[in-house]
Amino acid sequence: MADKKIYEKPIITKHQSGMINKFGSSPITTPKTEIDGVPVKDLVEQFGSPVFVMSEKQIRNNLKNAVRIFKTRYPKVQFAWSYKTNYLNAICSVYHQEGSWAEVVSGFEYEKARNLGVDGKHIIFNGPDKSEEDLTRAIKEKAKIHIDHADELYKIIELCDKLNLKADVAIRVNMDTGIYPKWDRFGFNYENGEAWQALKRIVISDKLNLIGLHTHIGTYMMTADAYRVAANKLVKLAKNLNDQFDIKLDYIDLGGGFASKNTLIGQYLPAEEVVPTMEQFADAITSEMLEFASTPDEMPTLILETGRALIDDAGYLITKVLATKRLSTGKRSIVIDAGVNLLFTSFWYKHKILPAQQSSVQSENATIYGPLCMNIDVIRDDITLPALKKDDLLVIHYVGAYEVTQWMQFITLRPNVVMVMEDGSVEIIRDKEVVEDIVRKERLPEKLKKFKL
Amino acid sequence: MVKYFIESIIYSYSQIFFSNRKWFGIVALISTFIIPELGILALTGVIISNLIAIWLKFDKTKIRNGFYGFNGILLGAASSFYFELTPFLIGLVLVFIIITFFVSAVLEHHFATVFNLPGLSLPFIISLYIFFLFLRNYDFIIYKEFAFIDYPFLAFIPDAIKSYFKAFSLILFQSSILSGIVLATAVLFFSRVMFVNSILAFIFNYIFLYMIFPKADETLLILTGFNSILTAFALGGSLIIVSRKSLLLIILSSLMVIIFTGFFYKLLSFFFLPILVLPFNAIVLSTLYSLKFRQEHSDLVLLYFKPGSPEENFYYHNVRKNRFERFKFLFPELPFFGEWFITQGHDSEPTHQDDWKYAWDFEIKDEEDSLYKDDGKTVDDYYCYNLPVAASLDGEVTKVVNHVPDNDIGEVNLKNNWGNTVVIDHGEGLFSAVSHLKPDEITVEIGDEVKKGEIIGRCGNSGRSPVPHLHFQFQASDKVGCKTYKFPIAHFIERTGEELFLKTFDFPAEKTYVRNLEIHKTIKKSFDFKFGDKLKFECTIDGETFTEEWEVKVDILNMLYLESDRDATAYFYPYEKIFYFTNFVGNKKSALYYFYLIAAKVPLSYHEKLKWNDSFPLSLTTNNLTRYLSEFFLMIGQQIKSTATVEYPERKEDATDYVLESTLVTKGEKLFTFYKKADKGKLIISDEGYIKEFKYYSNEKEIFKARLLENKENER
Repeated sequence: MADKKIYEKPIITKHQSGMINKFGSSPITTPKTEIDGVPVKDLVEQFGSPVFVMSEKQIRNNLKNAVRIFKTRYPKVQFAWSYKTNYLNAICSVYHQEGSWAEVVSGFEYEKARNLGVDGKHIIFNGPDKSEEDLTRAIKEKAKIHIDHADELYKIIELCDKLNLKADVAIRVNMDTGIYPKWDRFGFNYENGEAWQALKRIVISDKLNLIGLHTHIGTYMMTADAYRVAANKLVKLAKNLNDQFDIKLDYIDLGGGFASKNTLIGQYLPAEEVVPTMEQFADAITSEMLEFASTPDEMPTLILETGRALIDDAGYLITKVLATKRLSTGKRSIVIDAGVNLLFTSFWYKHKILPAQQSSVQSENATIYGPLCMNIDVIRDDITLPALKKDDLLVIHYVGAYEVTQWMQFITLRPNVVMVMEDGSVEIIRDKEVVEDIVRKERLPEKLKKFKL
Repeated sequence: MVKYFIESIIYSYSQIFFSNRKWFGIVALISTFIIPELGILALTGVIISNLIAIWLKFDKTKIRNGFYGFNGILLGAASSFYFELTPFLIGLVLVFIIITFFVSAVLEHHFATVFNLPGLSLPFIISLYIFFLFLRNYDFIIYKEFAFIDYPFLAFIPDAIKSYFKAFSLILFQSSILSGIVLATAVLFFSRVMFVNSILAFIFNYIFLYMIFPKADETLLILTGFNSILTAFALGGSLIIVSRKSLLLIILSSLMVIIFTGFFYKLLSFFFLPILVLPFNAIVLSTLYSLKFRQEHSDLVLLYFKPGSPEENFYYHNVRKNRFERFKFLFPELPFFGEWFITQGHDSEPTHQDDWKYAWDFEIKDEEDSLYKDDGKTVDDYYCYNLPVAASLDGEVTKVVNHVPDNDIGEVNLKNNWGNTVVIDHGEGLFSAVSHLKPDEITVEIGDEVKKGEIIGRCGNSGRSPVPHLHFQFQASDKVGCKTYKFPIAHFIERTGEELFLKTFDFPAEKTYVRNLEIHKTIKKSFDFKFGDKLKFECTIDGETFTEEWEVKVDILNMLYLESDRDATAYFYPYEKIFYFTNFVGNKKSALYYFYLIAAKVPLSYHEKLKWNDSFPLSLTTNNLTRYLSEFFLMIGQQIKSTATVEYPERKEDATDYVLESTLVTKGEKLFTFYKKADKGKLIISDEGYIKEFKYYSNEKEIFKARLLENKENER
């Protein structure tokens, strides 16, 4: 029996006469009906809506791909999973299984990595906020501490003296790589000599093992050349250390910041077509790194803290249409059950959103609103979508990075996060919240317990 | 000094039978005393020879091993055998023992340096002939009648077997069948191979003798018999590694003994000289010499190391062959970073054929087995395109082609077949070439010295290259497109699925994933034994606890070795990325022995679950009756073998140490399938870079344990 035709509300679209342009006719939307072979409909039936869906296969493939790209260009490469990008245990574990270390930026993340079983020596401890307890623990557990500022440097020396232990340290270097904005708030500056001063201070300390150099030049970088500049400057520092103090660094850490497939608001062409490929980033970095020495054995390990580019496209958010309505201008609007509380990135991304079911070829511009009773809750200001009705499903793409770390509990509760495993089964990796989860933390003073309205 | 001197005497006796065992020398020495005057004169012979050698400061090791002594024994014994001794004659014998020493010193040196051959007993023969002719100046010399002492209680032994024992006794100029029995038994205990050889040699000698000289008497049988036996000893295991072809050699040489005996008989009768061991010397020397001129030395391998028993020679050689057959003193690696897939290997369709068959084509494959991303219609889609290409070995750049444009996908440039190419001269006549590189990306120029692993260009699609790939070959000249030369990659890791396997001195095979080894600092440091380093261990063996100390030493050939204070030595070869033990000698109840078994081959690299294989000389792993029995069949093939599978097992995330586990299996084949022994070794390397602990288990039971007490690095 042939599929029953779907009923769609009639719409009126403006007739545009003239030549068919070179981009062809209006886009036909191919629906996203399944994720790694699991029907979107089934996922919602089983886990409710909205629901975050992560693809184990995609995560692994992304990392393997990146590892291959870098390792075929440079002899020693180590990836470290950037916890802040997505620190659900299941996600981190997949990366650790594939050989990635942990890159953390707080005591909380450090603790998380340790609880997961990552050994101290495989943790890179970044960030401007490391408490005395955090540092003490990191020193004791031989974590690689990336020093952010001079105050921290002195703190570490003081702690090492107190503990009578040596700490494995690197410094974070910031520099002009020709991009705007210049990230000079983290680490020691290269151009004004601050970085070199800090290195000298470390070298003369008998309590610190200088093992590496670190930089993180920015986020969502649209040009690979900035990395070439950064790598070049770090290699120069490393060479100077070698020449002047005979210090052979274990590694040079180029941080992260590679752009993902998400398109920024204000960007005209889709990101898939304009952001540099992983190969281009790799070529830029490794060609400078290879300048360090002529033979592989003398070269330091290249560490990468790539987050976003490795996971964004492994995450989906399935959401349900709550209502469709016409705005006063006549523009269509769609209200869905996932708002900016779950998609913090809506403020800067034009998320790729596809319906999860077949529809006709007719499409119309629309605004997508979230369910929050707040004016700021806009998911997409303007998107061309086919006709949708209540309870239709939408799949929001490339939401693997930062969503489940930056989401907030606001007005409503946070939904299930599930992972489609390589064998096609689906596992919950974070349970949806219940009211008890939230109020458990609250305390009600005795005086306020009773009231009468 | 006294011990040294006594040893030099005893080993001189062993030498006559190609043995290096003390007990063998003692047995031979005692057996000469069955006729006391002969024994005394023989002993005098060796004492004088060795005293002169020591006095004149000849090579100490050679003296100790009996090189200069055994000709003296033979001359002493022969004199007593041929003549009725008088004080005058004894005086002359002493003089001729001195002469023999000088003849043997000269001949030994001359043969060794000019022909690279042993002197055998030729010095003795020459001296004895001079002695014989010299004695013709006198008319009062009484020649002994040649007669064997026969014992009535041995009457039950058949004549042919008696002749066999007589032949044995005649090796030491004994005329007692008893001494023959003793010596034959000693040979049996020393080497099953030699024992079998002696029987085979005697049988063939018997057959050929009566075929060629039907009227021959027993004297001739014994004379040719002992020549055949000695020849079989030399050619069937002592100086040539025993193999199936040894049988042919024994048959042939037994025949030659008859022919030579017939020839020398007529020749020497002019001078009234005895034939003695002349046929043996002539045949062995000419055979060894002629075998040197073969093109290939894959079988009937002449001994190229310090000899042991034929069994030990065999085991040592075969294990060495297994481990180092393609060892060439140059250690090329794969010319790239990361893991590549071999789309075309040696001798394969379509282009690695004929003169160009020893070449490799490398490309990159992704998780989905694809060589490219997107639709694969542009060179940029190919994963390998634009990847850095490195020198596989140090050398000098001798050719650079850098102008051929990259082809579109599917096109080939037949005019410039090889495309952009770099040829590097690695010295020793070895060149390597990488082809189809990306134009204008070659970073070296003619005359540049490059190091192994240094970037020389980028993978491209120039020349006869429909899709981007890296063509790599070894060749014997600097011409682009020259005939390929078969040369192994020194070490690489082959991946099959999740399995990583270490290959050494091997040819990467088509359709495999390969990558270079990456040095691991900790492992490298632990095996970085430098001259003068000392290590001390606390050990437990069979419940006994002791401390053992090792010192790293170096011999005159610059070979490094570990010497244990428990009388054990293990030679090692630390080349670049792999640590090898090449040999072990000495006390097996030592920590060094177990360390040798566990760490015979260790890549200085760390990959979880990396596996590799190794093999051991049976003589170093097994010492029991089953092994001795199996050695009767060694000529047919090795019946029992010792092999090991070694790996870095899965490592816990919070583990601080690195662990290496070895499973050593000694297993019988064919007749000996019933025999199997599985041992396990475990080596623990501290993450601070030293050997922390090692244990050895036999049948799941811990039999040995060692823990590092002290690690003194030589001040350098």
